[in-house]
Order: sequence, then C-alpha cells, then structure tokens
Amino acid sequence: MDIIVCLKWVPDTSEADLAIAGGAKDIKKDDLDYDINDWDRFAVEEAVQIKEKVGGKVTVISVAPDDAEEMLRESLARGADEAFHLWDDAFEESDGFAVAMILAKFIKDRPFDLILTGTLADDDCCGQVGGMLAAMLGVPSAVLVSAIEPEDGKVKFRKELEGGLYEAVEMDLPAHLSVATGLNEPRFVSIRAVRKVASVEIPVLDREELGLEESQVGSAGSKIEVEQVAMPPEGEGAEIIRGRAEEAAARLAEILKEKGGIG
Amino acid sequence: MMTHIFVLAEHRRQKLRDVTWEAVEAGRKLAADLGSELTCILLAGNAAGMADELAKECPKVLVVEDPKFETFNSDLAIKSLVAILQDKAPFMLVMGNSNSVMDVAPGLSVALDTALATDCFAFEVQDGKPLAFRQMYNYKVNAKVSFKDAEKIVVTLRGGSFPFTPTGAAGGVVEKIASPVADEAPRKRFLNYLEAEKGDVDIASADIIVSVGRGIGDEPDMEIFESLADAMGGVLACSRPIVDKNLLPKYHQVGTSGVEVKPKVYLALGISGAFQHVGGIKGSPLIVAVNKDARAPIFRVAQYGIVGDLNEVVPALEEKIKELKG
Repeated sequence: MDIIVCLKWVPDTSEADLAIAGGAKDIKKDDLDYDINDWDRFAVEEAVQIKEKVGGKVTVISVAPDDAEEMLRESLARGADEAFHLWDDAFEESDGFAVAMILAKFIKDRPFDLILTGTLADDDCCGQVGGMLAAMLGVPSAVLVSAIEPEDGKVKFRKELEGGLYEAVEMDLPAHLSVATGLNEPRFVSIRAVRKVASVEIPVLDREELGLEESQVGSAGSKIEVEQVAMPPEGEGAEIIRGRAEEAAARLAEILKEKGGIG
Repeated sequence: MMTHIFVLAEHRRQKLRDVTWEAVEAGRKLAADLGSELTCILLAGNAAGMADELAKECPKVLVVEDPKFETFNSDLAIKSLVAILQDKAPFMLVMGNSNSVMDVAPGLSVALDTALATDCFAFEVQDGKPLAFRQMYNYKVNAKVSFKDAEKIVVTLRGGSFPFTPTGAAGGVVEKIASPVADEAPRKRFLNYLEAEKGDVDIASADIIVSVGRGIGDEPDMEIFESLADAMGGVLACSRPIVDKNLLPKYHQVGTSGVEVKPKVYLALGISGAFQHVGGIKGSPLIVAVNKDARAPIFRVAQYGIVGDLNEVVPALEEKIKELKG
C-alpha cells in the first residue's frame, strides 16, 4: 500500500497572545513557534501503522518554507520512507486551492493507493485542501475518519458524524482520507531516531520543477483573499472576576453556590 | 445577472437536520441582499414530507429522488450538484458546515470551478458582491474574505450563527428532476451507523459539569479536577484534546462530535472554546470559564470568567466550595 501524507507547517496559536500585523491582512507571526499541524501528526502515524501492518511505502510532502524541513525529517524518523519539500517564494500567500494545486501537480504522476491529510489546519481552519486535492486527482474523499482498514482494492473506515454518531463506510481505492485527531497515539520520536535519518536527502522542488505556471500559485492562483483580519472585540461576553487566585476563586465559589452549582 | 442562491438540504433518518434550516435562513438573507431568488436542493431516497416542509420556507425546491441518497453520499452529491449547477452561474451555494458536508464542499468547489469559504459566521454585500466572515488561528481571529471576481461561489456555515425563524408562508414550488447519478456505481458506500460506546457516567443528564481542556497541560494531575467535581457534586467532562490524549474516555467528551449537554452549571477549565465544543453546551444557563488566555473564545459564551493559572485557581476554588458547604 503506497501512502502519501500531506503535512502543513503552522504557527502555534493555541495558547499564544496574538496581535494583528500592519496592513491588517494577517497576524504577526515573527514571534510564534512553528510546528506540524496537530491533526497531521495523527495522519503520519496512521500511515506508518498501516504500512507496518500491510507493507508498502509512506511518502510525506509539504508545501512550506525552508524551516519545515524539520517536520519532514521528524516524519522520516517516525517511519516515513521518503520526503519531498515543495517550496518556491512564489508559493507565498497561496490559499487552500492553490496549495491543493501544487500538491496535485506533484502527486499526479506517482502511483498511490491512499492520500492521508489532517481534517483541519489550526491556522486557517478551512478544512479544504484534502478534498480539493482528491477532486483534482479524481479520487473519492472523506474527512473525520478513524479505524482505517485497507482491504483488497478498497478501504473501510469509520466517519465521525455529530452527537456521538458514526457511520461505517467503504470506499474504492485509490482514495483520500482526512483523519480525525485521536485515531491513534503518535509515537515518541527519540533523538537517536532523528539522527538516523539526518543524512537522508529531502529534495526541494520549486515552481518550475513542478511544472506550475506563475498564475497557478500564490495570490494569483488563489480563489479567495483575506481582505482584513481583526481580533474579536474585547469586553464582549463574560464578566471577568479580578484579583489574586484565592480572591477570584472565593468570589467564583459564591457565584456557583448562588446559581446552584454546588450540589 | 442576479446571483441565484441555492441551499443544499441535509437530512438523516428521513428527517431534515437543523443545519438545513440555518442554511435556509442564511440563503434567504443573501437572496434579499443581492435581490435574487432562493432555491433549495434536496437529494433524498424518499423526498415525501421533506420536500413539502422545505416548500413552506423556500420559493422553489429542486428534488432528486434516488435510493442512493437515503444516506448522505458525498461522492454522488458532488456529481449531482455539478449536473444541477454547472450552467447556473452566477450563483452561490449555501450549505451547513456539517461533518457530512465537509466531505462535499472542497471537492465540489474544484469540480464546479467555484471559490469556496468554509465555516462562515456572517456575510456582507458590498457593491453587489458578497463578502464572508470566518475565523482563523484556532478561532481566535476574525477574517473578512472576498471571493475576488468569482461568478460561482460555495459557502458553508458555522452552526448556530444563523438562527432560523420559520414563516411557513413561502408557498414554494416543488420540481422533481431525474437523478443525475442513476447509472453511477458508487465509489463510496455507506455500511451502517455506529453509536459511540456508553460509559459509567452519563454527562448528558448531569446538572453540574466540571470540564477540562487542552489548557490543563500535557501531563496534568487529573485528581485535582476530579476532586473539584466531587466537591461540587458534579461530574468530570472534557473537550476533544483530552480524549485524544487518552486522559478520559470518549463518553466524557462534550461538543458537537461528542455529547451535547445541558447542565445547570458548566465550569470550563483550560478550554479555549472552539465552536465544536461550544456547540455542545448551548443549552447551559450558566457557563463559567477559567483560562490563562484572556482572548480565549470561551469567554465570549461564558457569563463569568477568571483569567489565571489553573494550578492556583482550582485548589483555591475547591477549598472555598468545601467551606461554603460547611
């Protein structure tokens, strides 16, 4: 089973204090730490586990600037067999559609049974590249997937619906699946494992090598454009209880008691 | 040419889903703002009842009846929507951002060559062109998005952002069309529904819930939270990352993909408040949050909040609650 996993390199914004950049088209990213998108970590692990079970090859790819080599190398240490780094300065400001186009261009002449992605990216929260890529390659697609079981020429899996409901689904291969978080436990990667793959070459492919026109990438190749970003207005919503932890906790305890929160 | 508005109706087990009505509401408003018409598309195994219900709220309902649509089949939905919409430009297709539609929207946008904005919570029309509002960066930043000069647009909607008001007065026309996928052998096949495993706690029926999220850290001491829940006479619940890390079983997970809860009091500890989580606590009359990030979206749905360190606030809170109980 040949599996291609698409990874995204994202700023960690979950706990960080965010600020709007000049021009108000994006946030300030200089001080943020970058890492593999949380959902994608599960996708790499799933690919490696499937390979360990049924054999085959795992290829990881990413459309991301130079720093992301670290993520690709760590994926090799996790058990991926090869990595490709797709980058060109012209790829800056690509939206989901343009990124899917770059990935599709790389994948279209390669044999694959399964493409795995994460369901959502923590930065743009769009959840679209996987499904777009599948359509560009002409294969069926599903998101929020777990319990993946490849069989001969098809794959069975569980798709998460709402309210604790799932559906069991069967799909013809080749196919694309976006994984749900928590479908596996990503393994710990030791420093030794990373050292072992330190000398593995990770080819970097630019726009021309991928056979893409300038009009297909970056903002020119994008279908949508962020015109403005803003922090939601502060002071909306909760009454914030101020003071030292003990004081605030004491006040909160009283509110809870008053509202029936102590049973 | 007026931008025609289409809405995809979603159903499960022969019943229209709430997301459908929210999409009708958003579609109605867009049609009014753009001075255009609204058409609802229903792909169903058996449209009886559902088509009539839609016609009460929508001036036109297009119905495809095909046994393959008894359950949601994204692959065939894409093919059908392409057949229905390919010559309808300029148009805008509105769908709920449900877990099923997440399988449809991106692929459809490629197949129909449309611009796509997912999970939108509001729209604005400027110079006759729609603009979408959505969130980015862990749902902490609002973004205004343009579709450039696209004549074909697909949008999906954030649940709860377009509360539906029934009018019952549309007197819509129902038009049946032949199934565009009548001869298709489906590449994707529904097998059966599966319910999540039930556990020893039923958080759906709890009056008091203490819920923990990512903000409790990578190696949290779960006992301090259990102990607080005990002191309050409540149960312990959590958001998705806690289940992903195997700190609590799935049946403790609150949210649209977990359990929807309606306690009298919901205490959210270290929960940022992503919409999937907030969607599961909508019915709770009192939401209280403790988080170290003053910008966490949870504070926008909570009535009271403390910005602070859980390791300090939680033990202090438990002590104070024990005092008050006497």
